[in-house]
Amino acid sequence: MADRGADDGVDFTDLLPPDLQRQAEVVAEFNSVTTSRTWYHYLLIVASLVFAAVSVGFVGTILWNSLPEWAHHSRTLLGGRGWQAPIGPFGGLAMIVGTLETSLIALALAVVIGIGTSISIVFLIPRRFRNIVATLVELLAAVPSIVYGLWGFLVLAPWMLTTVNPWLNSWPFAKAIFGNPGQEFGTSLLLASIVLAVMILPTFVAISREVIAVVPQDLIEASLSLGATRWQVIREVVLPTARVGLFGATFLALARATGETVAVALVAGGVANVQFHLLYPGTSIAAWIATQFGESSSTEISALMALGVILMIINFGLSLISRGLVNRQRKILAVV
Amino acid sequence: MDQEFMAKVKMEVVDKSTAPARSVIAMQLKDVAVSFHGRTAVRDCTFDIAKNRVTSLIGPSGSGKTTLLRALNRLHDLTPGAKVAGQILLDGVDIYRGDLTVTELRTRVGMVFQRPNPFPTMSIYDNAISGLRFNGVKKKSILDEAAESSLRSAALWDSVESRLKVAASNLSGGEQQRLCIARALAMDPEVILMDEPTSALDPIATLRIEELMTSLKQRVTVVIVTHNMQQAARISDDCAFLLMGEDRAGELIEFDTTEKIFNNPIDPRTLDYTLGRFG
Repeated sequence: MADRGADDGVDFTDLLPPDLQRQAEVVAEFNSVTTSRTWYHYLLIVASLVFAAVSVGFVGTILWNSLPEWAHHSRTLLGGRGWQAPIGPFGGLAMIVGTLETSLIALALAVVIGIGTSISIVFLIPRRFRNIVATLVELLAAVPSIVYGLWGFLVLAPWMLTTVNPWLNSWPFAKAIFGNPGQEFGTSLLLASIVLAVMILPTFVAISREVIAVVPQDLIEASLSLGATRWQVIREVVLPTARVGLFGATFLALARATGETVAVALVAGGVANVQFHLLYPGTSIAAWIATQFGESSSTEISALMALGVILMIINFGLSLISRGLVNRQRKILAVV
Repeated sequence: MDQEFMAKVKMEVVDKSTAPARSVIAMQLKDVAVSFHGRTAVRDCTFDIAKNRVTSLIGPSGSGKTTLLRALNRLHDLTPGAKVAGQILLDGVDIYRGDLTVTELRTRVGMVFQRPNPFPTMSIYDNAISGLRFNGVKKKSILDEAAESSLRSAALWDSVESRLKVAASNLSGGEQQRLCIARALAMDPEVILMDEPTSALDPIATLRIEELMTSLKQRVTVVIVTHNMQQAARISDDCAFLLMGEDRAGELIEFDTTEKIFNNPIDPRTLDYTLGRFG
């Protein structure tokens, strides 16, 4: 208690009525116990320092090892085509483009399906089935990514080959967009996007369901009281109110998609071509690193590390944005 | 002691001789009861809501005032397991079983909530006309006119005229609540239901809302739930007193003009409540 008084400069305890004085003493005692520096206190500080050191060291080594590549070939890494193992040049454009293509298409699919799922779970499905559907979606998050990869490779790829490719190419213009690889490849950028969409769906639904569910009930009742239909309530009140949080969920899902490795490595085809025809094979940064580094020379390792840095920056940026947006949503709802 | 109290309360009941007589009926309640999953929350409510008058629903917590109010524009439809028994008539038409869609009912019977709840993503202007938009009105001249007249009726126009496109969340609590009243008025409803509309507001804002309610009487019928005895005495013409019965279900104890409820009630429990002996 004496410590606390000294900290604050002045001790007001004596000015309080007796009952409150006793209370203040109890509080002060509690504070002195909880803030005293026991061995446990130091253990916690050491643990957090170790953690910080590991993060710094980790980022540092990756940057250090990729430094030769950045120093000499940064332009090739960001904009070059072709990956000439073992001595280079190592062009990263195909992987960067492939990452963006697969992630964005997956995101578009997941957002459309995910918002529908979230709205259904919160508003449309009868209460007793709600938890079942929500659990089923969350179960998707528990499936290991290698299992998704196998499923995509063994089940979806043949199906793409026999059904989806011919069907897509039966449409005029579709060939211009998707390309027509014939019976050559089952694995493709489109398949990778579809598998990724299934994988990021639970992430998106988990957050979007929450931001939709916390839209205040009295806003919904207010719009109903003005003669709005249920559909109008959802479209003109619930979704706009949850909008910022939904963007947050979108960016978080995007960050998951860009970083996904094994499944994409299995189903994207693993070809380092800048490819805009989605039925042709391609690759992503993460998948490329995973499949190449086993038999790499030291220069190639440096280039792969440099790709890793690019991916890290993309993901870090996306996480920052998504976190900022979800926080902003909290504030918006807090002032309502 | 009772005489002193009586004298005090009597003074507070404002002279309502200007209010129109109870000749035209806006809504009729006949033996209305609301239950949730078979458990009755409020029952035995039979009274008429007179047109162009303010009817207050008073009673302690748990007496079913808000539950009853929400039955009047079918907001219980949302709640699983909710059931409304008896008859509620709007202009002689049963609102639950008659030839009246729920959206049409709600455009004719508006609602103002306890907490000011303008739509946070909409501007002041968009809030004011949100009901018209929901009902498919698209013509800008009609919307502009409705926005101005409803904001004027809610005594808000002068302070927001220059910032109609600003987000409604920039307004003070009292202004937000008046915007919610404007939003309801824009639909040109016959009845406005108010669920403790001033309980989240400071005294000055409360007073302005009360003045507003009194001036709105010429246009609409107002039904207000309030915890505040003085407020009921000041602004309402008629008054329904509800009380929780022995089985924890609310029931109507007495309905009459506010003056009689406060000065000369039939049931002793009414007197006890208005004198502040319980609740």
